[in-house]
Amino acid sequence: MFNATFFCKSLPALAAALLISACSGMQNQENLYSALGAEAGLEKIADNFILEIANDDRVIEYFEDTNVERFRQFFIEHMCNLADGPCEYTGDTLVDTHVGMNITVADFNAIVEDLMAAMNKADIAIGTQNRLLARMAELREQIIRM
Amino acid sequence: MTSEMKRTFSAYLLLSGLLITCVPAQADSRIKGTGGVSSVSGAGGGGLIPWATLTSLATDKERGFTGFATHTDVDDFTLDVLGGAVNFNDRLELSYARQTFTIKANDAEIAQDKYGLKVRVAGDLLYGKVPQVAIGIEQSRLRDPATAKAVGARDDDGTDFYVSAARAWIDGPFNRTSMLNVNLRYSKANQYGLLGYGGDDQDSRLQIEVAAAMFLTRSIAFGAEYRQKPDNLSALQEDKATDVFVAWFPNKHVSITGAYVRLGEIAGARPQNGFYLSVQGAF
Repeated sequence: MFNATFFCKSLPALAAALLISACSGMQNQENLYSALGAEAGLEKIADNFILEIANDDRVIEYFEDTNVERFRQFFIEHMCNLADGPCEYTGDTLVDTHVGMNITVADFNAIVEDLMAAMNKADIAIGTQNRLLARMAELREQIIRM
Repeated sequence: MTSEMKRTFSAYLLLSGLLITCVPAQADSRIKGTGGVSSVSGAGGGGLIPWATLTSLATDKERGFTGFATHTDVDDFTLDVLGGAVNFNDRLELSYARQTFTIKANDAEIAQDKYGLKVRVAGDLLYGKVPQVAIGIEQSRLRDPATAKAVGARDDDGTDFYVSAARAWIDGPFNRTSMLNVNLRYSKANQYGLLGYGGDDQDSRLQIEVAAAMFLTRSIAFGAEYRQKPDNLSALQEDKATDVFVAWFPNKHVSITGAYVRLGEIAGARPQNGFYLSVQGAF
Protein backbone atom coordinates (compact mmCIF):
# COMPACT_ATOMS: atom_id res chain seq x y z
CA MET A 1 0.00 0.00 0.00
CA PHE A 2 2.78 2.42 0.86
CA ASN A 3 5.06 3.12 -2.05
CA ALA A 4 7.25 5.88 -3.42
CA THR A 5 4.42 7.38 -5.46
CA PHE A 6 2.31 7.72 -2.33
CA PHE A 7 5.05 9.68 -0.59
CA CYS A 8 5.73 11.83 -3.63
CA LYS A 9 2.05 12.60 -3.89
CA SER A 10 2.09 13.61 -0.22
CA LEU A 11 4.30 16.54 -1.14
CA PRO A 12 1.41 19.05 -1.40
CA ALA A 13 0.67 18.50 2.32
CA LEU A 14 4.29 19.16 3.19
CA ALA A 15 4.44 22.16 0.85
CA ALA A 16 1.30 23.68 2.39
CA ALA A 17 2.67 23.19 5.91
CA LEU A 18 6.00 24.77 4.97
CA LEU A 19 4.27 27.66 3.22
CA ILE A 20 2.12 28.43 6.27
CA SER A 21 5.09 28.33 8.62
CA ALA A 22 7.13 30.48 6.25
CA CYS A 23 4.29 32.96 5.89
CA SER A 24 3.88 33.10 9.65
CA GLY A 25 6.98 35.28 9.57
CA MET A 26 5.10 37.81 7.47
CA GLN A 27 3.36 39.42 10.38
CA ASN A 28 3.14 42.89 11.72
CA GLN A 29 5.64 43.15 14.58
CA GLU A 30 4.64 46.64 15.71
CA ASN A 31 4.15 46.87 19.47
CA LEU A 32 0.61 45.55 19.96
CA TYR A 33 -0.26 48.07 22.67
CA SER A 34 0.52 50.92 20.25
CA ALA A 35 -1.40 49.18 17.44
CA LEU A 36 -4.44 49.00 19.73
CA GLY A 37 -4.24 52.78 20.24
CA ALA A 38 -2.46 52.71 23.61
CA GLU A 39 -4.39 53.83 26.70
CA ALA A 40 -7.11 55.70 24.80
CA GLY A 41 -7.62 52.77 22.43
CA LEU A 42 -7.94 50.25 25.25
CA GLU A 43 -10.39 52.50 27.12
CA LYS A 44 -12.55 52.72 24.01
CA ILE A 45 -12.43 48.93 23.54
CA ALA A 46 -13.29 48.39 27.22
CA ASP A 47 -16.29 50.76 27.09
CA ASN A 48 -17.58 49.13 23.89
CA PHE A 49 -16.99 45.67 25.37
CA ILE A 50 -19.03 46.52 28.50
CA LEU A 51 -21.90 47.75 26.31
CA GLU A 52 -21.76 44.62 24.14
CA ILE A 53 -21.90 42.39 27.22
CA ALA A 54 -24.73 44.44 28.73
CA ASN A 55 -26.77 43.80 25.58
CA ASP A 56 -25.88 40.12 25.28
CA ASP A 57 -28.56 37.86 26.79
CA ARG A 58 -26.27 34.85 26.40
CA VAL A 59 -23.79 36.01 29.02
CA ILE A 60 -25.23 38.96 30.95
CA GLU A 61 -26.19 36.73 33.90
CA TYR A 62 -22.50 36.12 34.68
CA PHE A 63 -22.01 39.84 35.20
CA GLU A 64 -25.00 40.52 37.44
CA ASP A 65 -22.85 41.01 40.53
CA THR A 66 -19.95 42.60 38.69
CA ASN A 67 -18.60 45.97 39.77
CA VAL A 68 -18.40 47.56 36.33
CA GLU A 69 -15.78 50.16 37.27
CA ARG A 70 -13.51 47.47 38.74
CA PHE A 71 -14.08 45.18 35.75
CA ARG A 72 -13.19 48.03 33.38
CA GLN A 73 -9.98 48.86 35.23
CA PHE A 74 -8.75 45.26 35.44
CA PHE A 75 -9.76 44.51 31.84
CA ILE A 76 -7.73 47.49 30.59
CA GLU A 77 -4.75 46.53 32.78
CA HIS A 78 -4.90 42.94 31.60
CA MET A 79 -5.16 43.81 27.90
CA CYS A 80 -2.39 46.38 28.27
CA ASN A 81 -0.16 43.79 29.91
CA LEU A 82 -0.99 41.12 27.31
CA ALA A 83 -0.25 43.62 24.52
CA ASP A 84 3.24 44.43 25.86
CA GLY A 85 2.07 47.78 27.20
CA PRO A 86 3.48 49.57 30.27
CA CYS A 87 1.04 48.07 32.78
CA GLU A 88 0.95 45.64 35.67
CA TYR A 89 -2.16 43.50 36.03
CA THR A 90 -3.23 43.95 39.67
CA GLY A 91 -6.46 41.91 39.58
CA ASP A 92 -7.11 38.36 40.78
CA THR A 93 -5.89 35.42 38.70
CA LEU A 94 -8.21 34.36 35.88
CA VAL A 95 -8.74 31.03 37.62
CA ASP A 96 -9.84 32.77 40.86
CA THR A 97 -12.10 35.12 38.90
CA HIS A 98 -13.90 32.41 36.95
CA VAL A 99 -13.93 29.47 39.36
CA GLY A 100 -17.40 28.13 40.09
CA MET A 101 -18.98 30.03 37.20
CA ASN A 102 -19.16 26.88 35.02
CA ILE A 103 -18.39 28.85 31.91
CA THR A 104 -19.16 26.77 28.82
CA VAL A 105 -17.52 26.68 25.43
CA ALA A 106 -20.57 28.57 24.11
CA ASP A 107 -20.27 31.28 26.81
CA PHE A 108 -16.58 31.73 26.07
CA ASN A 109 -17.25 32.10 22.33
CA ALA A 110 -20.05 34.60 23.03
CA ILE A 111 -17.58 36.78 24.95
CA VAL A 112 -15.05 36.47 22.12
CA GLU A 113 -17.73 37.70 19.71
CA ASP A 114 -18.57 40.61 22.03
CA LEU A 115 -14.89 41.55 22.16
CA MET A 116 -14.59 41.35 18.37
CA ALA A 117 -17.63 43.63 18.04
CA ALA A 118 -16.13 46.02 20.61
CA MET A 119 -12.86 46.16 18.66
CA ASN A 120 -14.71 46.64 15.35
CA LYS A 121 -16.58 49.59 16.84
CA ALA A 122 -13.25 51.02 18.05
CA ASP A 123 -11.95 50.75 14.46
CA ILE A 124 -9.21 48.26 15.38
CA ALA A 125 -7.82 46.64 12.21
CA ILE A 126 -8.63 42.93 11.87
CA GLY A 127 -4.94 41.96 11.89
CA THR A 128 -4.44 43.80 15.18
CA GLN A 129 -7.58 42.16 16.58
CA ASN A 130 -6.18 38.76 15.65
CA ARG A 131 -2.88 39.49 17.40
CA LEU A 132 -4.72 40.25 20.64
CA LEU A 133 -7.21 37.38 20.27
CA ALA A 134 -4.38 34.89 19.72
CA ARG A 135 -2.75 35.95 22.99
CA MET A 136 -6.08 35.76 24.81
CA ALA A 137 -6.78 32.30 23.37
CA GLU A 138 -3.81 30.99 25.38
CA LEU A 139 -5.77 31.86 28.54
CA ARG A 140 -8.87 29.90 27.61
CA GLU A 141 -8.07 26.88 29.78
CA GLN A 142 -7.95 29.16 32.84
CA ILE A 143 -11.47 30.38 32.15
CA ILE A 144 -13.81 27.65 30.93
CA ARG A 145 -15.14 24.68 32.90
CA MET A 146 -13.46 25.82 36.14
CA MET B 1 -29.33 21.12 -14.73
CA THR B 2 -32.31 19.06 -15.76
CA SER B 3 -35.73 20.56 -15.06
CA GLU B 4 -36.22 18.06 -12.23
CA MET B 5 -32.92 19.09 -10.66
CA LYS B 6 -33.87 22.74 -11.05
CA ARG B 7 -37.18 22.16 -9.30
CA THR B 8 -35.47 20.27 -6.46
CA PHE B 9 -32.84 22.98 -6.20
CA SER B 10 -35.44 25.76 -6.04
CA ALA B 11 -37.55 23.88 -3.50
CA TYR B 12 -34.44 23.32 -1.42
CA LEU B 13 -33.43 26.97 -1.49
CA LEU B 14 -36.98 27.98 -0.54
CA LEU B 15 -36.98 25.48 2.33
CA SER B 16 -33.58 26.71 3.50
CA GLY B 17 -34.87 30.28 3.36
CA LEU B 18 -37.93 29.40 5.43
CA LEU B 19 -35.86 27.53 7.98
CA ILE B 20 -33.40 30.42 8.26
CA THR B 21 -36.30 32.78 8.90
CA CYS B 22 -38.38 30.59 11.20
CA VAL B 23 -36.02 28.48 13.29
CA PRO B 24 -34.78 30.29 16.40
CA ALA B 25 -31.02 30.48 16.59
CA GLN B 26 -29.90 27.75 18.99
CA ALA B 27 -26.91 25.79 17.86
CA ASP B 28 -24.63 28.52 16.66
CA SER B 29 -22.22 29.05 19.53
CA ARG B 30 -18.98 28.52 17.67
CA ILE B 31 -17.21 31.42 15.97
CA LYS B 32 -18.57 32.19 12.51
CA GLY B 33 -16.84 30.25 9.74
CA THR B 34 -15.37 27.53 11.98
CA GLY B 35 -18.02 25.08 10.78
CA GLY B 36 -16.65 25.29 7.26
CA VAL B 37 -19.02 24.47 4.42
CA SER B 38 -20.47 21.24 2.99
CA SER B 39 -18.30 18.91 0.93
CA VAL B 40 -19.58 16.96 -2.10
CA SER B 41 -19.98 13.89 0.14
CA GLY B 42 -22.24 15.83 2.51
CA ALA B 43 -19.70 15.81 5.34
CA GLY B 44 -18.67 19.12 6.84
CA GLY B 45 -15.49 20.41 5.29
CA GLY B 46 -14.36 22.20 2.27
CA GLY B 47 -15.77 21.40 -1.14
CA LEU B 48 -13.86 18.46 -2.62
CA ILE B 49 -12.84 16.93 0.72
CA PRO B 50 -14.21 16.65 4.25
CA TRP B 51 -12.36 18.44 7.03
CA ALA B 52 -11.84 17.54 10.69
CA THR B 53 -14.33 20.27 11.61
CA LEU B 54 -17.88 19.11 12.31
CA THR B 55 -20.74 20.71 10.41
CA SER B 56 -22.70 23.73 11.76
CA LEU B 57 -21.63 25.89 14.69
CA ALA B 58 -22.87 23.54 17.44
CA THR B 59 -20.74 23.31 20.59
CA ASP B 60 -20.46 20.48 23.13
CA LYS B 61 -23.97 21.09 24.49
CA GLU B 62 -25.77 21.71 21.20
CA ARG B 63 -27.06 20.00 18.08
CA GLY B 64 -26.61 21.61 14.71
CA PHE B 65 -27.97 20.91 11.26
CA THR B 66 -26.84 21.95 7.80
CA GLY B 67 -28.49 21.55 4.41
CA PHE B 68 -26.78 22.36 1.15
CA ALA B 69 -26.99 22.39 -2.63
CA THR B 70 -23.94 22.32 -4.89
CA HIS B 71 -23.68 22.67 -8.64
CA THR B 72 -20.42 21.95 -10.48
CA ASP B 73 -20.01 22.57 -14.17
CA VAL B 74 -16.85 21.39 -15.94
CA ASP B 75 -16.09 21.00 -19.65
CA ASP B 76 -18.01 17.81 -20.41
CA PHE B 77 -19.94 17.07 -17.22
CA THR B 78 -22.02 18.55 -14.43
CA LEU B 79 -22.36 17.34 -10.86
CA ASP B 80 -25.31 18.33 -8.69
CA VAL B 81 -25.31 17.48 -5.01
CA LEU B 82 -28.08 17.89 -2.46
CA GLY B 83 -27.59 16.87 1.11
CA GLY B 84 -27.49 17.59 4.79
CA ALA B 85 -25.70 16.77 8.00
CA VAL B 86 -26.36 16.74 11.72
CA ASN B 87 -23.82 17.55 14.40
CA PHE B 88 -24.39 16.06 17.85
CA ASN B 89 -22.52 17.96 20.58
CA ASP B 90 -19.65 18.81 18.24
CA ARG B 91 -18.63 15.17 18.69
CA LEU B 92 -20.52 13.13 16.11
CA GLU B 93 -21.59 14.10 12.61
CA LEU B 94 -23.99 12.16 10.38
CA SER B 95 -24.32 13.20 6.76
CA TYR B 96 -26.12 12.33 3.58
CA ALA B 97 -25.69 13.48 0.01
CA ARG B 98 -27.32 12.61 -3.28
CA GLN B 99 -24.95 13.16 -6.17
CA THR B 100 -26.21 13.40 -9.74
CA PHE B 101 -23.54 13.36 -12.41
CA THR B 102 -24.59 14.33 -15.92
CA ILE B 103 -22.72 13.69 -19.16
CA LYS B 104 -23.41 16.78 -21.25
CA ALA B 105 -22.98 15.02 -24.62
CA ASN B 106 -25.99 12.73 -24.18
CA ASP B 107 -27.67 13.96 -20.98
CA ALA B 108 -27.02 10.56 -19.37
CA GLU B 109 -27.12 10.64 -15.58
CA ILE B 110 -25.35 8.67 -12.88
CA ALA B 111 -26.77 9.10 -9.38
CA GLN B 112 -25.13 8.04 -6.16
CA ASP B 113 -26.05 8.11 -2.45
CA LYS B 114 -23.42 8.89 0.15
CA TYR B 115 -23.83 8.34 3.87
CA GLY B 116 -21.19 9.66 6.23
CA LEU B 117 -20.23 9.40 9.87
CA LYS B 118 -17.50 11.47 11.44
CA VAL B 119 -16.30 11.53 15.04
CA ARG B 120 -14.10 14.17 16.60
CA VAL B 121 -11.55 12.21 18.61
CA ALA B 122 -9.17 14.87 19.89
CA GLY B 123 -8.22 18.49 20.04
CA ASP B 124 -9.81 21.71 18.92
CA LEU B 125 -9.54 23.67 15.69
CA LEU B 126 -8.71 26.97 17.41
CA TYR B 127 -7.58 26.31 20.98
CA GLY B 128 -5.04 24.28 22.89
CA LYS B 129 -1.96 22.42 21.76
CA VAL B 130 -3.61 19.55 19.88
CA PRO B 131 -5.10 20.00 16.39
CA GLN B 132 -8.69 18.88 15.89
CA VAL B 133 -8.57 15.23 14.83
CA ALA B 134 -11.54 13.34 13.44
CA ILE B 135 -12.09 9.91 11.96
CA GLY B 136 -14.76 9.29 9.37
CA ILE B 137 -16.51 6.73 7.23
CA GLU B 138 -18.24 7.38 3.91
CA GLN B 139 -20.52 4.66 2.56
CA SER B 140 -21.55 5.07 -1.06
CA ARG B 141 -23.94 3.24 -3.34
CA LEU B 142 -24.55 3.87 -7.03
CA ARG B 143 -28.17 4.16 -8.12
CA ASP B 144 -27.08 3.76 -11.73
CA PRO B 145 -24.32 1.11 -11.78
CA ALA B 146 -24.33 0.35 -15.53
CA THR B 147 -21.55 2.78 -16.47
CA ALA B 148 -19.36 1.58 -13.59
CA LYS B 149 -19.71 -2.03 -14.76
CA ALA B 150 -19.04 -1.02 -18.37
CA VAL B 151 -15.73 0.65 -17.53
CA GLY B 152 -14.54 -2.34 -15.50
CA ALA B 153 -15.25 -1.35 -11.88
CA ARG B 154 -15.44 -4.25 -9.43
CA ASP B 155 -18.30 -2.96 -7.28
CA ASP B 156 -21.16 -0.49 -7.37
CA ASP B 157 -20.79 0.34 -3.70
CA GLY B 158 -17.86 1.06 -1.44
CA THR B 159 -16.71 2.36 1.90
CA ASP B 160 -14.07 5.01 2.46
CA PHE B 161 -12.31 5.54 5.78
CA TYR B 162 -10.40 8.68 6.64
CA VAL B 163 -8.55 10.36 9.44
CA SER B 164 -8.48 14.13 9.36
CA ALA B 165 -6.52 16.75 11.27
CA ALA B 166 -7.19 20.49 11.17
CA ARG B 167 -5.54 23.44 12.86
CA ALA B 168 -6.37 27.11 12.67
CA TRP B 169 -4.01 29.91 13.69
CA ILE B 170 -5.97 32.92 14.94
CA ASP B 171 -2.99 35.18 14.19
CA GLY B 172 -1.76 33.41 11.05
CA PRO B 173 0.20 34.69 8.04
CA PHE B 174 -0.38 38.43 7.44
CA ASN B 175 -2.18 38.45 10.82
CA ARG B 176 -5.09 36.64 9.19
CA THR B 177 -6.81 33.62 10.76
CA SER B 178 -5.66 30.65 8.70
CA MET B 179 -6.31 26.93 8.62
CA LEU B 180 -4.60 23.80 7.40
CA ASN B 181 -6.38 20.46 7.08
CA VAL B 182 -4.80 17.15 6.11
CA ASN B 183 -6.70 13.90 5.50
CA LEU B 184 -5.45 10.38 4.99
CA ARG B 185 -8.10 8.37 3.16
CA TYR B 186 -8.50 4.68 2.43
CA SER B 187 -10.59 4.33 -0.72
CA LYS B 188 -11.09 2.22 -3.81
CA ALA B 189 -13.47 4.75 -5.38
CA ASN B 190 -13.25 5.59 -9.07
CA GLN B 191 -14.14 9.27 -9.55
CA TYR B 192 -15.71 9.59 -6.06
CA GLY B 193 -17.50 6.29 -6.73
CA LEU B 194 -19.46 7.65 -9.70
CA LEU B 195 -17.56 5.10 -11.80
CA GLY B 196 -17.81 2.40 -9.13
CA TYR B 197 -15.23 0.93 -6.79
CA GLY B 198 -12.05 -1.00 -7.52
CA GLY B 199 -10.85 -2.19 -10.88
CA ASP B 200 -8.50 -4.34 -12.92
CA ASP B 201 -5.51 -2.08 -12.20
CA GLN B 202 -5.87 -1.51 -8.47
CA ASP B 203 -3.87 1.54 -7.38
CA SER B 204 -2.75 2.43 -3.84
CA ARG B 205 -5.78 2.52 -1.55
CA LEU B 206 -4.34 5.32 0.56
CA GLN B 207 -4.72 8.89 -0.54
CA ILE B 208 -3.69 12.26 0.84
CA GLU B 209 -6.01 15.24 0.84
CA VAL B 210 -5.01 18.76 1.83
CA ALA B 211 -6.84 22.04 2.30
CA ALA B 212 -5.61 25.46 3.32
CA ALA B 213 -7.79 28.49 3.99
CA MET B 214 -7.41 32.07 5.16
CA PHE B 215 -10.01 34.51 6.50
CA LEU B 216 -9.47 37.89 4.82
CA THR B 217 -12.24 39.32 7.00
CA ARG B 218 -14.56 37.66 9.56
CA SER B 219 -16.92 36.88 6.67
CA ILE B 220 -14.75 36.04 3.68
CA ALA B 221 -12.35 33.12 3.43
CA PHE B 222 -10.37 31.90 0.48
CA GLY B 223 -8.20 28.87 0.00
CA ALA B 224 -7.29 25.80 -1.99
CA GLU B 225 -7.79 22.05 -1.82
CA TYR B 226 -5.98 19.04 -3.20
CA ARG B 227 -7.44 15.56 -3.43
CA GLN B 228 -5.35 12.60 -4.51
CA LYS B 229 -7.44 9.93 -6.22
CA PRO B 230 -6.68 6.29 -6.99
CA ASP B 231 -6.35 5.20 -10.64
CA ASN B 232 -7.88 1.70 -10.59
CA LEU B 233 -9.16 1.24 -14.14
CA SER B 234 -6.74 0.27 -16.90
CA ALA B 235 -9.09 1.63 -19.55
CA LEU B 236 -9.34 5.11 -18.05
CA GLN B 237 -6.93 7.61 -16.55
CA GLU B 238 -7.85 9.20 -13.21
CA ASP B 239 -6.02 12.25 -11.87
CA LYS B 240 -5.86 14.36 -8.75
CA ALA B 241 -8.53 17.01 -8.16
CA THR B 242 -7.79 20.54 -7.01
CA ASP B 243 -9.74 23.72 -6.39
CA VAL B 244 -9.31 27.32 -5.35
CA PHE B 245 -12.29 28.75 -3.51
CA VAL B 246 -13.84 31.81 -1.94
CA ALA B 247 -16.46 31.36 0.76
CA TRP B 248 -18.73 34.11 2.05
CA PHE B 249 -20.38 33.86 5.45
CA PRO B 250 -22.84 36.81 5.54
CA ASN B 251 -24.07 35.54 8.92
CA LYS B 252 -23.91 32.38 11.06
CA HIS B 253 -26.65 30.63 9.11
CA VAL B 254 -25.71 31.00 5.46
CA SER B 255 -22.61 30.40 3.41
CA ILE B 256 -22.02 30.73 -0.30
CA THR B 257 -18.93 29.15 -1.81
CA GLY B 258 -17.59 29.62 -5.31
CA ALA B 259 -14.63 27.69 -6.65
CA TYR B 260 -12.60 27.01 -9.74
CA VAL B 261 -12.05 23.25 -9.95
CA ARG B 262 -9.58 21.19 -11.93
CA LEU B 263 -10.72 17.57 -11.83
CA GLY B 264 -8.32 16.00 -14.33
CA GLU B 265 -9.38 13.39 -16.86
CA ILE B 266 -12.80 11.87 -16.29
CA ALA B 267 -14.03 8.79 -18.17
CA GLY B 268 -11.61 9.28 -21.04
CA ALA B 269 -12.54 12.92 -21.59
CA ARG B 270 -9.86 15.65 -21.61
CA PRO B 271 -8.85 17.27 -18.28
CA GLN B 272 -12.00 18.78 -16.82
CA ASN B 273 -11.94 22.34 -15.51
CA GLY B 274 -14.82 24.50 -14.44
CA PHE B 275 -16.81 26.18 -11.72
CA TYR B 276 -18.39 25.11 -8.48
CA LEU B 277 -21.11 26.93 -6.56
CA SER B 278 -22.47 25.80 -3.21
CA VAL B 279 -25.06 27.24 -0.86
CA GLN B 280 -25.38 26.06 2.72
CA GLY B 281 -27.89 26.80 5.45
CA ALA B 282 -26.91 26.07 9.07
CA PHE B 283 -29.19 25.91 12.09
